[in-house]
Amino acid sequence: MLDLLALLIVDGLADAALIFFVAVGLTLVFSVLRILNVAHGSFYSIGAYVAVSIGMWVVSAGWHPYLTFPALFLSAALVAVALGPFIERYFLRWTYGKSEALQILVTFALFLVFEDLQKLVFGVQAHYEDTPLQLLGVSDIGGIFYLNYQFLLIAMAAVTVILLRLLIRRTMIGKFIVAVVADREIAQTMGINTTRVFVIAFTVGVFLAALGGALASPTSGVAPGLGAEALVLAFAVAAIGGLGQIEGAALAAVIVGLSRAAAIHFAPDFEAVVPYLVMLVVLLIRPYGLFGTVQARRI
Amino acid sequence: MLELDTVRVNVGGFLVLRDVSFAIDAGAATVLVGRNGAGKTTTLRTLMGLLPLEGGTIRLDGRDIHRVPAHGRAALGMGYAPEDRRLIGDFNVEENLLLPAQAIGLNAAERRRRLEDVYSLLPELPGLRTRPGGSLSGGQGKMVALGRALMVGTSYVFLDEPFQGLAPALAKNYARALSRLRREKEDIGLLVTESSPQYVEEIVDHTLYIERGEVGERDTLQVE
Repeated sequence: MLDLLALLIVDGLADAALIFFVAVGLTLVFSVLRILNVAHGSFYSIGAYVAVSIGMWVVSAGWHPYLTFPALFLSAALVAVALGPFIERYFLRWTYGKSEALQILVTFALFLVFEDLQKLVFGVQAHYEDTPLQLLGVSDIGGIFYLNYQFLLIAMAAVTVILLRLLIRRTMIGKFIVAVVADREIAQTMGINTTRVFVIAFTVGVFLAALGGALASPTSGVAPGLGAEALVLAFAVAAIGGLGQIEGAALAAVIVGLSRAAAIHFAPDFEAVVPYLVMLVVLLIRPYGLFGTVQARRI
Repeated sequence: MLELDTVRVNVGGFLVLRDVSFAIDAGAATVLVGRNGAGKTTTLRTLMGLLPLEGGTIRLDGRDIHRVPAHGRAALGMGYAPEDRRLIGDFNVEENLLLPAQAIGLNAAERRRRLEDVYSLLPELPGLRTRPGGSLSGGQGKMVALGRALMVGTSYVFLDEPFQGLAPALAKNYARALSRLRREKEDIGLLVTESSPQYVEEIVDHTLYIERGEVGERDTLQVE
């Protein structure tokens, strides 16, 4: 029984780690740009595709296999730098202050374009590249084998929560982000270049989603539809945590990850709906999410 | 000198400023008097670059600045204290004060120097330095907003209805702070808006009146 519980927790937390990367990016972009970015899931799947491609290239070029680890981060950084500033500048910037329906249509259109572009570039078959997973091997703890890669995922997510916290609280750009979230207009009169803050926050959001995808790719591979799946889960997690809440997204990801793991073990048929059942219950009790508040928009 | 030349501004489809022209001399204090809705706040927001010009120009020492984006105005030495204070609630008072100085890229020594300057000018503030911006009373908040404007407002400072909502004792306190500012920072041009100029009469050099988006030298309202 204890063994099963430990297994559940590790599975659940590893799952939570991956969901967290997507959800926290979504929530960051929402609180700074005030745009619910439907195309956010695409950055997850593009991150996964790029990571798989670079990983395969590293392996086939005969380089040291451990280089597949930095390749995961490199992939996410490439996606963020290539797409973040470009999408913000040419697709999002003109929608600021316009109606939410328009913003959702624009980002949904982007999502559809990205879906087809991915099929065009990477084909419709699934890709796998699990060198990082194989390299780390398994641990035998009390007779149960755990993938060490899962522990890496959990540690990465924990480090990311701390780094984001430090970025927001301790750095200059973090303070500017808080000021822009609190009051965009007064931030401008204080001399804060809000446009630059938007580009940076959006690019960080893209990086986090792409990193989620890249880190997920060794465990799940990548195939069409991955982006949509990630997006819907991220929405649920962001809503449970309270939109705009970093710690909220982390806690919500843990709740959803653990419930999914429990569902897989006890009631596999319900695995797909569990995140939404959790969301339903949380929102019935706390309509603005676990950490959300009505009036204050915080980060 | 800060000059507005036939400035026209639309807000939400309404022409709120109609060919507004006036000038504030460096070091002079001007009060802009008008009723609610006359366009006082719009005038200040326009000066801070928050609203696009429909027509006309704004010149700072002869230089056309209407294309300088809002975030560039602070670096020109223009400080702004909105009527409703709008401090960043997550930051304490000192962080609120320092933020604009950081945003325009002042080095740590200069930030510290300006902070000490503001603290000596507004002696209420040092005692509040660790209080969260969201926890202050109205009067304290107004004082912090003034201090925040002064951190970057080295040439012009715009105060939007600073006495609005202040109890008489606090208003007198604020007025004393303003006269101290006039004495100790003689080169700062001050533009204060008010619906009733009773607290600022003693410190201003110049009174302008705004009515339905038109600014003039004479009080066309109170002819009675």
